[in-house]
Amino acid sequence: MNKILVSDIINLCNDSYIVNIKNDDIKINVKGNVKLYLINEKIGNIDINLEDDSFIDIYVFNKNVEKNMVFNINQNNNSHFNLNISIISNEKREIIVNNNIIGNNNNSMIKSRMISNKEIIKMIINVKVFKDTLNNIALEDLKGVNNGGCVHIEPNIICLSNEVSANHLTTIGSLNKEEVDYLMSKGLNEDIAKKIMLKGFIYSNMDQYIKDLEVKDA
Amino acid sequence: MLNLDNLNIYINDELLVSDLNLQINKGEVHVLMGKNGVGKSSIAKSIMGDKNYLVKGHIYYNGEDITNLSIYERSKRGIYTISQNPIAIEGVTNAEMLRASLSDKNNAPVDIIKFNKELENICQKLDLDKSFIHREINVGCSGGEKKKIELMHMWMLKPSFIILDEIDSGLDVDALKLVSNSIKEYLEEYQPGILIITHSNTLINTFDDYYVHLLNDKKIIKSGQKELANEILNKGFKELSNELDEHLL
Repeated sequence: MNKILVSDIINLCNDSYIVNIKNDDIKINVKGNVKLYLINEKIGNIDINLEDDSFIDIYVFNKNVEKNMVFNINQNNNSHFNLNISIISNEKREIIVNNNIIGNNNNSMIKSRMISNKEIIKMIINVKVFKDTLNNIALEDLKGVNNGGCVHIEPNIICLSNEVSANHLTTIGSLNKEEVDYLMSKGLNEDIAKKIMLKGFIYSNMDQYIKDLEVKDA
Repeated sequence: MLNLDNLNIYINDELLVSDLNLQINKGEVHVLMGKNGVGKSSIAKSIMGDKNYLVKGHIYYNGEDITNLSIYERSKRGIYTISQNPIAIEGVTNAEMLRASLSDKNNAPVDIIKFNKELENICQKLDLDKSFIHREINVGCSGGEKKKIELMHMWMLKPSFIILDEIDSGLDVDALKLVSNSIKEYLEEYQPGILIITHSNTLINTFDDYYVHLLNDKKIIKSGQKELANEILNKGFKELSNELDEHLL
């Protein structure tokens, strides 16, 4: 695992990186197979260009980091873009993802798990599949829990091509009362039952590397 | 142990169960039988403290009035339920839930080595793969696996009163035998009070002695022992209820 400090423009290829962000606006060019971890980073604008035949997995975990974030991702040909965003916040937050699928044979999967404890978390996803493109797949799996605050999600997929497979799943709600009762019936008080459920909700969007880090109670 | 005193159970202002009186002592097995929709599961849920039910009357547990206690408080006192279709919880593992519960119960951190060893032994006893320990609670599990997982929780948490709400439904012959034997073994080892809700005699025949209560028209209309269960299963609820009505007239 490489730890890198990104201040402006960087080229990444074939490795896993824990990214520390120095400036508000950064540009990343990806060639090959890349995995990025952005853990409690103050993310401003990130522009990512995926070269042909490139893969990127991005894991974002963000707990009470007071900054809005914008991802602009361009996919060319035969690329795979996998974005996993996990956010726990007490403050007002806005997350925007603009994913442009310009060429052919690309996969895009955007998955988010968000918990709002107080204010509003607003997430806007804009996936655009360009005209005259072939064999692209665009998927969104976006979930939020209103835990004293409010989650707002706008899942947009704009398909200008007929040759595209697109699907989105969006769920916003409170914790399931029946599940809380179940855990209470096993000897967990209400507070701990809810904490465990929230932690599980966030963890379901993380890979083992982040789970092993200092990402504790939700 | 458990004493239901003049219990009336309502849901949305509708009376489901009326003037229910039942005493279950330590080490006793009681069986509630009755046709579908007669209120058996409502009794089980009310004992556990489900807030969807309005309860009038009193529920005493070891002499303490627990009628207004939360599900957690009742669980802490040793009351435990296994329902016919246990729910699944994504993102929460069996081990995580059990660790949190035992830590709360004992007011001390859990000895992980001892904890894991005990869980592995229980899994072996229940013919359950060890991987279930660290899997999410009941997620992607078959009906039989879910019942075994609930039994795994039971053996770890060691409750003093157990409610089994149609735990025998949807189990194949082997799974039913294993589940029945496990409950019998638990009874012999810890002597809990047990309330069973069932439509068949396969599970209850595992026990040497038990009490049977026939529920109909919001009330217990007849109580007895093993012979009553056989009578119910031979004659059916309707015929037996009619016979009792005629007898009363």
